[in-house]
Amino acid sequence: MFLNNREGLALALPAAIFSLLLFLVPVAILLSEAFRSDTGWTLSGYTEFFSKPLNQVVFFRTLKLGVLVAGTAAVIGYAAAFCIVNLGPTARGRIFGLVVLPLMISPVARTYAWIVILGRTGIVNDTIVGLGLSDTPIRLLFTETAVFIGLLQLFLPLMIISLVSAMENIPRDVIPAARVLGANWIQVFIRVILPLTKEGLVIGGTLVFTGALTAYITPAILGGSKVLMLETLLYQRVNVSNDFVSASVIAMILIVMSFSANLLLKRIATARS
Amino acid sequence: MARTTNWVVLGLTLTFLIGPFIIIIFAGASAGESLAFPPAGLSLKWYAKVFTVESFRQSFMLSMFLAVFGTLAALLIGVPAAYALNRYKLPGDETIRTIVAAPIIVPGIIVGLALLRYLVVPLDFTVTMALFFAHTALVLPYAVRVVSSSLHNLRADMEEAAVLLGCSRLQAFTKVVLPNIRGGVLAAFILGFVTSFNQVPVSLFLSGPGVRTLPIDMLAYMEITYDPSVAALSALLAFMSLAIVFAAERLLGFSRYV
Amino acid sequence: MKKLMLMLVSAAALTAHSAMAKDTLTISVYSFAQDAYKKALYDPFEEICDCELVIETGNSVERMAKIEANAADPVIDMAVISSHDALSLAQKGLIAPLDISKLSNHAKLYPAAQDPIGNNMAVGYTFYASSIVYRDDLVKIKSWGDLLGKDLAGQVSLPNITGTQGPLTLMMLDKALNGGSGDFSSVIAKIGEDADDIVTFYSRSSELAQLMNQEEVIAAPLGRFAWSRFKNSPLSFAWAEPEEGQAGGMNVMIMTKGNGNEELAYKLMDYWLSTEVQTRIAEALIDSPANKDVVVSDEVADNLTYGADLINSLNILSPAEIIANRDAWVEQWNAEVIK
Repeated sequence: MFLNNREGLALALPAAIFSLLLFLVPVAILLSEAFRSDTGWTLSGYTEFFSKPLNQVVFFRTLKLGVLVAGTAAVIGYAAAFCIVNLGPTARGRIFGLVVLPLMISPVARTYAWIVILGRTGIVNDTIVGLGLSDTPIRLLFTETAVFIGLLQLFLPLMIISLVSAMENIPRDVIPAARVLGANWIQVFIRVILPLTKEGLVIGGTLVFTGALTAYITPAILGGSKVLMLETLLYQRVNVSNDFVSASVIAMILIVMSFSANLLLKRIATARS
Repeated sequence: MARTTNWVVLGLTLTFLIGPFIIIIFAGASAGESLAFPPAGLSLKWYAKVFTVESFRQSFMLSMFLAVFGTLAALLIGVPAAYALNRYKLPGDETIRTIVAAPIIVPGIIVGLALLRYLVVPLDFTVTMALFFAHTALVLPYAVRVVSSSLHNLRADMEEAAVLLGCSRLQAFTKVVLPNIRGGVLAAFILGFVTSFNQVPVSLFLSGPGVRTLPIDMLAYMEITYDPSVAALSALLAFMSLAIVFAAERLLGFSRYV
Repeated sequence: MKKLMLMLVSAAALTAHSAMAKDTLTISVYSFAQDAYKKALYDPFEEICDCELVIETGNSVERMAKIEANAADPVIDMAVISSHDALSLAQKGLIAPLDISKLSNHAKLYPAAQDPIGNNMAVGYTFYASSIVYRDDLVKIKSWGDLLGKDLAGQVSLPNITGTQGPLTLMMLDKALNGGSGDFSSVIAKIGEDADDIVTFYSRSSELAQLMNQEEVIAAPLGRFAWSRFKNSPLSFAWAEPEEGQAGGMNVMIMTKGNGNEELAYKLMDYWLSTEVQTRIAEALIDSPANKDVVVSDEVADNLTYGADLINSLNILSPAEIIANRDAWVEQWNAEVIK
């Protein structure tokens, strides 16, 4: 540890100043926009935003989809992570690589694929009609279901990665020991696995939830104008009507939602122990 | 039995995660005129068409420029910052750490809009400049974090020894520290490159006539033409990202750093 | 830090180089049929003017919003948008009146296109009819009211209210459902009730072309300018002639105020309005001519909105009326339709 502060600051400050001036200051001005009026400070931007039924619907839809995606990702994530940890070292490395792989691929490409899969003439509908489950194709595109599936696929890897790294830290013998002592799998999960992996769950949960809140492409392509989410609503407000007050309100909501999700999950994690 | 269940769960999960990507590869190789799976016959014509679309060429160059130079700029200010935060006891180091990490927390679409409103419009920045700054800021947290973790693994007494043996502090850094964190810096570069190259929300508002990043251009193209060339392009880009990551993994065990 | 500055400078240099090469004219146009426009208009014009065209695409209302956002320092020199979006920009003082003496082809335009929004703030360059495009192997369309009927439930798309086609569709639905009351609120309420039966509300005709070629949608209102995307499809598409008639509109050219590139912009406008270019664009089956000297074959005419008789038969919604009511429509639409 060196003690020359001036030297240290000279090294650290360019990055901090860059971030501050070119990033935080513009964002802060944008966030303050909804609070400013000709006469002074105001909250009318917020009251007006939430008085519109469409905005309320979009707000709750975004929250709902975020929670659903994060919750489903946690369930699948635990199952997948558990299986990955149980593999031998070589297979584990390979499978882990395959899980990480989608993160390197453009989200445009990953979302685009779902148009082909979920369309009226896509594979899912061909299968449903082929199996006789329905006479006519089911409408999947431009529904919340489509957006849900798209978001889940986009962010599931983040949950699996977080949970795998958490599970790798569980001592090898703990689970077999609990089993021998007569615990069933549910008990093992609640009493052993969950407490030991909660940090991974918090990280994964926050990443998936905020990812789902702030994704643009998936709701834009798979939801369209009928399934607006906050991010697509913001884009529309700005692009169609130059409505920067609404944009500022939505920006604040998104940031507050991300932060509170993080805090809430942390709180839950500490309360359990 | 448990083994079988294990593989069934993994098989289903991986199908869900990777299946769509495989479908895109084949949908792009269609001999037909519209996007479909299974494709109407196989041909490489859409893969070939990608290279003839002029806007793709332009936006590819812009995205490359941003990904390479934005990440380099982020490393240029990020490596010293990571070094300072690891090796010095700075007043307010928590604040500096938070400021530098902030771009990861703020949703990209807001960043893009903020830069458009308060840099491009009033200060007469070009859209390209704003994109460059936005992408640099976006990559900065990754650069600092990845390089920090590799500095963390490097014992500080090595540099102290070098200084005692007569090196200047700068020489100690370039001769002792830098060679040892090379892998971390490269990992940060690759992570930054991929993040920047695939970035959509930040660039959404930062586009102007003739200035579009590749993902935004693909979105615009999809709105106009519904042929399999976007699928082909997506597949090509995915292969490019994968090739870079695999090369890095081969050369230095990239995954150790991420 | 020095290195950083160097890098920033080189980044700036890279950005600047494209601007230095030739004179550039930045135009803002609709996003459909860009390949055809390139052949019929952009490439030949670049030859003639020895300049470079930079083209921004998008739907009318989004591009209008961008022109407004950049009003202090116009990015766009010349734009083609809907007549009501042009009027809205004119009322906000963001576009400049046109100097007709610089448009040698002005007198050849149909009278309705010569000064469509007053004060020479715009000139019309194309008329279009709006009707319903549908899969004639699957359904029959006799009336605009069929859009909300049982046969199309779950397979129909309507234009979004903010786009150019939105108000036209409301007008025709009002004719079909209420005998043309002129008050669209009950129509919007009805669309709201049936919202679940509507696949999506499209905002660009190119987007609709996709949906219909993908068989996601089998009928939707559409402007005739986008018809060529359907005509050549392997699927069987037809253009409806509903009993209430067809709607219609005009797209216009405008000049942004104080863009500093007026000479080149006039050159492009005049070239675009010339008999030569209007004929080429008509023969590519994109935009129907506003230049009355254009003569095309019967086959081409069948695919366009061609000739005074047809143009006069269209149901028109005046730009002023659209602007006066648009906010109220959007408000009701947001509350009742896309919830």
